[in-house]
Amino acid sequence: MADLVGVNGQRTEFRVVGKPNLPGKASMSLATGVAKFGIDYVLPDMLHAKFLRSPYANAKIISMDISRAKALPGVADIVTWEDPELKNLGGSPMGGPPSRPYLDNYADQDGMEVGCIVVAEDEDIAEEALRLILQDTKWEVYDAVVDPNKGRVEGSPIVRQVRYTSFDMFSSVKPENQKGNVNFATTVQGDVDEGFKQADHIIEYEVDLPAFCGHIPNPPSSVAWWTKEPYRDGEWLHVEGAVQRRDSVGRMYGVSDNRTVQEGIFQGGKYCDWGMRKSQEITPLLAKRTGRPVRCAQEREDTFDFLMNERFINMKIGFTNEGLITAIDDFSIADGGIQGSSSFGTANDQGYGPYYTTRCLNIRQQMEIVDTNTGKMYLSGQHCPFNWDTLTVGLHIIAEKLNKDVIDIAKMNLHGPDSQEDPRVVPSFEACIETGKKLMNWEWHQAGAKRLPDGRLHGASFRYQICPRHAFSGYDCQLEYRGGKIHLPTQGPITGIFAVECNAMIIAEELNVEYDDVIVDYDWRNKFTPVGGGSDGTTASGWAMKECCAKLKKMILEQAVKEAENPPAGGMFSFGPPQPNPLKGYTVDELDIAHKPLAEPKPVPAPPGGPGGFGGPGGPGGFGGPPAPVMEPVVYVKADPSLFKTLSSAVTETLVANFSGRPPAAIWSLGMGKMLDTMNTAYCEVAVDEETGVVEILRFGVVADPGKVIRPTSLESQIDQVMYFSQGCQLFEEFIYDDATGLRLNNNMIEYKKPTVMDVPRVDKHFEETRSGNAVYGASGVSHSMANTHLVICAIYNATGVWVQPPATPDKVLAALGKI
Amino acid sequence: MTITLNLNGKPTDLDVKTNYTLQEALQFKLGLTGAKHMCNKGVCGSCTVIKDGRAVLSCQILAVECDGSTVETVEGIAAQPKWKPLLDAYCKWDAMQCGYCTPGFVVSAKALLDSNPHPTEDECKEALAGNICICGTYPRHAQAILDAALVMND
Repeated sequence: MADLVGVNGQRTEFRVVGKPNLPGKASMSLATGVAKFGIDYVLPDMLHAKFLRSPYANAKIISMDISRAKALPGVADIVTWEDPELKNLGGSPMGGPPSRPYLDNYADQDGMEVGCIVVAEDEDIAEEALRLILQDTKWEVYDAVVDPNKGRVEGSPIVRQVRYTSFDMFSSVKPENQKGNVNFATTVQGDVDEGFKQADHIIEYEVDLPAFCGHIPNPPSSVAWWTKEPYRDGEWLHVEGAVQRRDSVGRMYGVSDNRTVQEGIFQGGKYCDWGMRKSQEITPLLAKRTGRPVRCAQEREDTFDFLMNERFINMKIGFTNEGLITAIDDFSIADGGIQGSSSFGTANDQGYGPYYTTRCLNIRQQMEIVDTNTGKMYLSGQHCPFNWDTLTVGLHIIAEKLNKDVIDIAKMNLHGPDSQEDPRVVPSFEACIETGKKLMNWEWHQAGAKRLPDGRLHGASFRYQICPRHAFSGYDCQLEYRGGKIHLPTQGPITGIFAVECNAMIIAEELNVEYDDVIVDYDWRNKFTPVGGGSDGTTASGWAMKECCAKLKKMILEQAVKEAENPPAGGMFSFGPPQPNPLKGYTVDELDIAHKPLAEPKPVPAPPGGPGGFGGPGGPGGFGGPPAPVMEPVVYVKADPSLFKTLSSAVTETLVANFSGRPPAAIWSLGMGKMLDTMNTAYCEVAVDEETGVVEILRFGVVADPGKVIRPTSLESQIDQVMYFSQGCQLFEEFIYDDATGLRLNNNMIEYKKPTVMDVPRVDKHFEETRSGNAVYGASGVSHSMANTHLVICAIYNATGVWVQPPATPDKVLAALGKI
Repeated sequence: MTITLNLNGKPTDLDVKTNYTLQEALQFKLGLTGAKHMCNKGVCGSCTVIKDGRAVLSCQILAVECDGSTVETVEGIAAQPKWKPLLDAYCKWDAMQCGYCTPGFVVSAKALLDSNPHPTEDECKEALAGNICICGTYPRHAQAILDAALVMND
C-alpha cells in the first residue's frame, strides 16, 4: 500500500491542502491564555528551586558554606555538587557514573548553573539563600576569553580549566585535533591550488557571521511531583515543562515511559534549539527529596543561548572572466563556545556548506574552533542556513567586479540537480528566480549607481538556498474512525509550526471529509508526534499519515459494505425493520467517501413491511417534510452519487488504522547538499542614508519552492519570522561582552534588541510548487533555510560600495563610508 | 496583605506578599495563566492586562498597588461573547506561532478596540508596539484586529 516512489502520489486536485485560514486546533487555547507552558504550572504545596549561577565567566568553587542559607526560614533543601544523588544523576542506564557531572563546581560561562541548588517555599527565599551562599563561597577565578581571535593565539589563557570527556550529540569535533584552546577541522575536495591557477581573477574578503540569540519565548521551566497509585506498585513521575523530552527525563530517574506523566502539550518556540535546560530536568530529584511538588523556572537573563555562534571567515575565491568559480578557500575562526556546545556551528557546517551547490570542484575548508567563555549553542540547525552567506557575499563581489547581474553569476555557478558535475539547470531554482525577478522588478545595478527620489542610495541583493529535509526519523501514525469523525491521537507537542494541523489537513484531503471532521486528541500516552525537524518534519510525518489514511479509508469502505449487507442491531429506540441501505449490493471499489452529498438523494424502495425512505441522509426527515440537510460526510456509490448514506450511519463500528514509516531519504541528505531538488530564493531592497548611516529595508522578497504548500497561513508566517530573524541579526542584535572579565553585558530584552512590529519591513512572498520534494505530495521544508546574515549587508554593499559587518548600526555604516 | 480587586467583573480578595507583582499574584494566587512571565522588565508585553481601563504591564505593578482597582485579564476578555470575533480572528489569521506571547497581544488589541473601534493598520501597529513576538507574527495581528473590527462593527 505504501507509495514507494517518493512523492506519495501525484494528486492534482486539492480541496483542503493549500487552503488558507483554517484555524489551528489549539489556537483558541493559546489566544485565551488557557494553554499552559511549563512555567505556568502551579500546584498546591509547591516548592521553588533556583540554581546558583556563576558570577564569573571562568571560575571554580574552592569552598562553599551553606549553613547560613540552610538556616534561613523557608529553605527546604540545598543540594550541592558533592551530593551523591547529584553526582550520579544522568549516569548511564547500566549504572555507571555520568561522563560529565550534572552539576559541577566549575563554570566556564557567567550565569552558568554551578555549585548548588536551593529549594524554598518561594522564589524570594530561594534567591535570598543564594545571596548568602554567594557571600560564603570562595572561588578561584581564571582569565576568560570571549574573542576567539584572541583565544587562538599562543600564550592566551587556557579556557577550559576543567575539560570533560563527554561525548556531545551531533559532535563532529574530533578530540585528537585539539591543541590548546583550538580544535582544527579541515575538509578538502579537489585541488584548490590548481583551481586558483585556472582563475582569471582571485578575490579575498572577510565575513563576520554574528552571534545570534533565539531566546525561547517561554523561559524553560518544569514542575515535578511523584505519586503512588492505589492498588498499583511503584511510583509515577509527573513532570510538566519537559514536553517532548518527557520520556528522557523519566529515564534519568529510572522511571519507565508509561509511568512518566505529562499533561502539557505546549512547548513554546524552539527555533531549532532543542536542548534541554537543567531547570527542565532537575525537579524530579528535588521533588523526591522533599516529598513535595517542586518548580524550577529560569529567568529571561538565564536564557540567552546561541542559535548561531560567531565566526570570522577569510575567503579566497578564484573565478574566470565569465564568472565561473574555479577555487574556494575558506579559512574560519569559529567560536566553539563553552563545553558541550553543539558542533552544528563549527565542524558540522563544513559538511552542509553552500560551496557544494556550485560547479566548483576545488574546495578547501579549514576551521579553527576556539574554546571560549562566550556561551552555549545547545543544538541549532539554524546555523546551517545562516552560514551560507560566505558564498552569497562572494557572488555579489564577483558580480560587481565583472559588472554582471548577481543572479546570472549564481545561475552560472549552480550545479545541476544530481551532482556538481551535472550540466543541467535546476528546475526549482529556475522557477524561483523567474518569479523572483518579476516580484522584485529586478534590475541589477552596480554599487552606488542608483539613488531614490529622496536622495538616499538604493541597494538590492539576492540569495539562494536549498530547502532542508532531514526527516531521518520514522513516524508511528494512528487514526481512529468513530461515529462519523476521524480522530487523530497525538502527543503533540505544539511548537508553533502547526505540524498537527498540516496532518489534519492531509487527513481531511485523503478521506475527503471536512477539516472540522478531523478531531485531534492530545494525550501524552499517544505515540504519534509530527515533529522531526521543522517544516520538513511536518511534511515527512504527513507522508506517513497519508499512508495511514489510505489504510483507514479502505477499512471504512469495507465496513460500509459489511454493514450494508448485514445491518447492525439498531440503537435503544430503534423499532421495526432497518432503513433501506442504498449502499447494499455494492463492492468496496464501487464506493467512495465525500465531504457532503454530491447529488440529491434518491428514494430507496422500502423493505417488505417497513417504511419507505430516502437513501441519503439517514437522519430525521421530520413528519411529511423534506429530509434535513446533511451536515456530515457521506459514503456514496461512485456510479450514482444520489445513492449515499451519511458516514456515521453507513459505518457504526469504531475502526483503527496504523502506519509506521518515513518517506524515502531526501537526496539532499544523501548527497550532503550536493544534490538539488527544492530551492528557495530571497531578495532585499534597502535605502541607505549617507548622512545618518541609517539603513531602511524597503522590502524583502521571498520566492520559495516548498515542493507543495500544505498550510499557507503558517508557511507565510514562518517566512516572515525567518526574515525578521535575519533583519535582527544584520541591523541591531548583538551580544556585548566585557573583554576584561568575560561577562556578558546584555542578557535582557532592553539591551539585546529583538525586532518589534514597528521595526519589521514588508515581506513579499510567492511560492512555487514543483512537487519535487521527498515528502507528502512532493513537499519538503522551507522556512528556516532562508535564515541569513548577509542579505541586507549585501544590499548595503550594492547601495554604497562598502562592506559593513553586521549588525549594520548607523555608526558602523558611517564609519565604513569614512564619515566618522 | 489582603487586597480586593474587581477582577474580570467579580470582586476578588487576594492574600498577597507585599513584593508580589500583579503577574505573580494572578499566577500563584489564582492560577490564571494568561498574563505570562517573560522578560520581567516591562519590555515584552506578554503580561499585559487592563487596569482601570488602561493596558498595563502586570510584571511592573505591585499587586498591592492594585487594591481597589478593576483588572481585566485575557481570561475575562475570552469569557465575554462580545470579544469572540477578536479571538476567532486571531485563530483564523494564525496571529500566533508558539503562542506564548499571544494573550498579551490579545489584551492590547482589546484595549485598542475599546478606545478605537475603527482602527487603521498603523493604529493597530502603534497599539502593539509594546508587545514582542519572537516568532515574528507581527503582520498577522493587524490583520486579525482589522478583521475583528469589521465583524464587531457590522
